[in-house]
Amino acid sequence: MKQEIKVVLPAYKVFYSLFFPVILCLIRGVSRADEIGGALDPSIALLSLVFCAESWVMERNGRRWEIFALYPAKNRLRTVFRRLAVQLCYLCVLSYAGYFLCYWQRPSLPPEKTAAGLYGGYLCAVTATVFFWSVLSMTLSNLFRSQWAGIGGSFLLWLTLFSAFGEKALGNFNVFAYAFRELDGAEDFSWMAGKAAGIAAAAFLLALQPRILKRRG
Amino acid sequence: MNIRMKDVTVSFKNGVTAVDHVSLEIPRGIFGLLGENGAGKTTLMRVLATIRKPSEGTLLMDDMVYSEENYEKIRRKIGYLPQELNLYPNLTVLECLEYLGELSGVPRKVCRERIDEYLEKTGLKEHRKKKLKQLSGGMKRRVGLVQALLNDPKFLIVDEPTTGLDPEERIRIRNLLADFSIDRTILFSTHVVEDLAAVCSRLAVMKKGKFLYTGEMGELLHMAKGHIWAGTVKNEEEARKWERTCHIISKQYTENGLRIKLISKQKPEPDCAQPEITLEDAYMYLMNCAEEK
Repeated sequence: MKQEIKVVLPAYKVFYSLFFPVILCLIRGVSRADEIGGALDPSIALLSLVFCAESWVMERNGRRWEIFALYPAKNRLRTVFRRLAVQLCYLCVLSYAGYFLCYWQRPSLPPEKTAAGLYGGYLCAVTATVFFWSVLSMTLSNLFRSQWAGIGGSFLLWLTLFSAFGEKALGNFNVFAYAFRELDGAEDFSWMAGKAAGIAAAAFLLALQPRILKRRG
Repeated sequence: MNIRMKDVTVSFKNGVTAVDHVSLEIPRGIFGLLGENGAGKTTLMRVLATIRKPSEGTLLMDDMVYSEENYEKIRRKIGYLPQELNLYPNLTVLECLEYLGELSGVPRKVCRERIDEYLEKTGLKEHRKKKLKQLSGGMKRRVGLVQALLNDPKFLIVDEPTTGLDPEERIRIRNLLADFSIDRTILFSTHVVEDLAAVCSRLAVMKKGKFLYTGEMGELLHMAKGHIWAGTVKNEEEARKWERTCHIISKQYTENGLRIKLISKQKPEPDCAQPEITLEDAYMYLMNCAEEK
């Protein structure tokens, strides 16, 4: 696992990913604490889709694919899942911690909500976000043997879903329903349907990995 | 281990035929594959390594047919050092080899023992804690060679392992291949003729996807005998006159004039002599014959 961490978390990736929430909390204004989650969630999705795109295709870019082609299929698959797991853990920890950076703006806490409750909701939402966008981007990269296909394809979907059209078309089943949720009044958890749909879609894509690696790996 | 190919053809989607109906038998020991850039050597090696499927023809590893259902078994017996291999720059030599060993399915303890053994043999033991990005080109090629040996392959395929290396490193890699060839079949591809001359006794010469020659090296040298001549001319102008009727394969300025080596069916000038033929001369003779055809 030590090698896996070194392989998927090189210095340049750690560097830009650490700066991402810092810059985000500097440029994205929040006046209320319940706005923080909605502000971070779509941006963390962008970070995830860029971060995980090269999980496997890095072997092609690094010209190691010819020796990898000789390794047993189950070992290759295990490596893909391990790499994804390392990156998911890293991105989750980063996004969990990034939430608190927004508090430098001293947002107000609505009287009907608690800080812990808001943070709990954010943890659930952002975990599903990281999972869905990471898996999607990696799958597209593996399918088209190019990290740019993974990033580009996922970004197009991001643009579609994180739009007025996406909000109207999918409603609570939009993976960004958390960011679109109504902030006034008591906390509404109907956005969970969108996150559950995202998790289900990601699980389906993960199940396709053995076939994708066999044909395109 | 014996590798046999019969009538193998590899055609790409763009219509290019990289390997054109070739048949070959590779016995135990080091077998050389020689050819100019773009001759089809790498494509042929990829087919032998099961990375690419042939468009036509059959391949056998001993009696096992190269087919989808046998690929896993065949791959377990293959070690492959591709032409370009860029191993993880952030890992140390030891970490990288342990990682690749685990991926190839070698049990951890056995893998560690093999790594120690091969690092010792390749002179990399003292560098095992260095990151790969800190190694020289030759050291990286040696690490690549060790990774190809981790699963104790019976068939080792090495694609241009000495290209771009200094003479000392080239000799070291050649010697390592000779050591590893004792109980293995090694296919050694290169366009550096002298590397093959140093370690192989059998070889195949490729040009435009076809074999120009397969067999013993001595036989190839014998074929070129009587066709290679050496002589000295006064200047470049005189050399150009010779070039009209013969094919000059080397030129060297000396105190007595310009010493040239050339290919000719007859003795070109009375004072020309037959030099000792090298594999390079024989290779050039073969290429010249192919061009004339």
